Amino acid sequence: MNTNSNSYTMMFAVAICVVMSTVLAFLANALEPTQKAAAEFDRQKNVMMAAGLIQPGDARSQEELQALFAERVTEVTIDVTTGEPLAGTPEEVAAARKSDPKRYRVVGTVTKPDGSVDAIILPISGKGLWSTLYGYLALEADRNHVKGIQFYKHGETPGLGGEVENPAWTALWKGKEIRDANGQIAITIKKGKVDEKVPAEKAHYVDGLSGATITSKGVQTFVRADLKAFDKYLSRGK
Amino acid sequence: MTSTATPATKSQPLFGPEEKKAILDPLWDNNPIALQVLGICSALAVTTRLDASIVMGISVICVLAMANVVISVMRNLIPSKIRVIVQLVVVSGAVIIVDQLLRAYAFDLAKQLGVFVSLIITNCIVMGRLEGYAMGNPPWRSLLDGIGNGLGYAWIICVVGAVREILGSGKLLGMQVIPDGLYEAGYVNNGLMVLAPGAFLLLGVIVWVQRAISGYVEK
Repeated sequence: MNTNSNSYTMMFAVAICVVMSTVLAFLANALEPTQKAAAEFDRQKNVMMAAGLIQPGDARSQEELQALFAERVTEVTIDVTTGEPLAGTPEEVAAARKSDPKRYRVVGTVTKPDGSVDAIILPISGKGLWSTLYGYLALEADRNHVKGIQFYKHGETPGLGGEVENPAWTALWKGKEIRDANGQIAITIKKGKVDEKVPAEKAHYVDGLSGATITSKGVQTFVRADLKAFDKYLSRGK
Repeated sequence: MTSTATPATKSQPLFGPEEKKAILDPLWDNNPIALQVLGICSALAVTTRLDASIVMGISVICVLAMANVVISVMRNLIPSKIRVIVQLVVVSGAVIIVDQLLRAYAFDLAKQLGVFVSLIITNCIVMGRLEGYAMGNPPWRSLLDGIGNGLGYAWIICVVGAVREILGSGKLLGMQVIPDGLYEAGYVNNGLMVLAPGAFLLLGVIVWVQRAISGYVEK
């Protein structure tokens, strides 16, 4: 057989592509439910980490953590234009979320064992440098102080923009106030280090990530935009 | 004219000297990182922690073994004009399989390794073994060669990963190994070890030590 003829080469190329894509498509389909479950568990862990319910690297098993999530976290879909929870069957709610994900969003509430509100969990997402970042911002029950922030999905440069995941950086957010005395959203990511001597900076500013100015700017922009979007929901309980 | 027996007609032992060479050589005498200086980029990038190095090592072993066998089985059918492209298709396929499995069963590590799993495709060791070994050797030996080279890569990045984790964050496999007393006495973790230049220095030292012991001389 002449393996160097053009027609053989063409046929071989087509055949190997077909075989390879069939194998990969089959595998992707077979693994999809497991992958989805793993991603969902990861999301739940991030909600709990943002709320300070668990620490990174918690040694508890998946079952225990999922039970903790079910016990302490309630998630509801709200209409951000009114701030009210969306009524309807789970299917209707899911359909609404799909039709307008910017308007119908899932927010979480973390309760203490005694039933009082421990934290309000807001989903945040937006563009960084290369990718869309997804995360959670947890607010204290007063809805003004940051309890924690956590990013669970992004495609920023490891070591630079990817440092949004770094616990040392997310810890800087803790205790910052999102609004100033006039009720305006004032949370800011400063380029460089926060000057602790300036009261406004101490209260609202977070250090920027060095080497990741665009990611830092992006995070500030979408955190502010999302806080604005949740304005009605946040002022509702007051 | 006398007829000579070709190697193919002789019955071959399952684990003869050729096979032994295929799996043992890359571990030390012909190590892909220390001797051939291949696969350096991922060796620098993923070695901040030992667990990531181990998973990366296992992934490369799987990809190399899979791709080596597939290419070796097809080696007489592959048209020489498109052989590198065919090798790439097979490597990419194997990498995607490993990546998908990691995402399903080791989500945290898959997230941490991120893009570097996909970048196994560009790991020069893989292409080098396919072109240099699997294209000219039978499947069983190619499998051993793949595993051997994967192991040769894996043990080096595991050493780098262990040293970087101990010096850089005072831990090993996530558990603290440097006693609190030492920190109280003024010991500080070495920040350089967490960054890529630390890996570069360390890898340089390993290559140097390995070459000094194995007596390698550049020709």
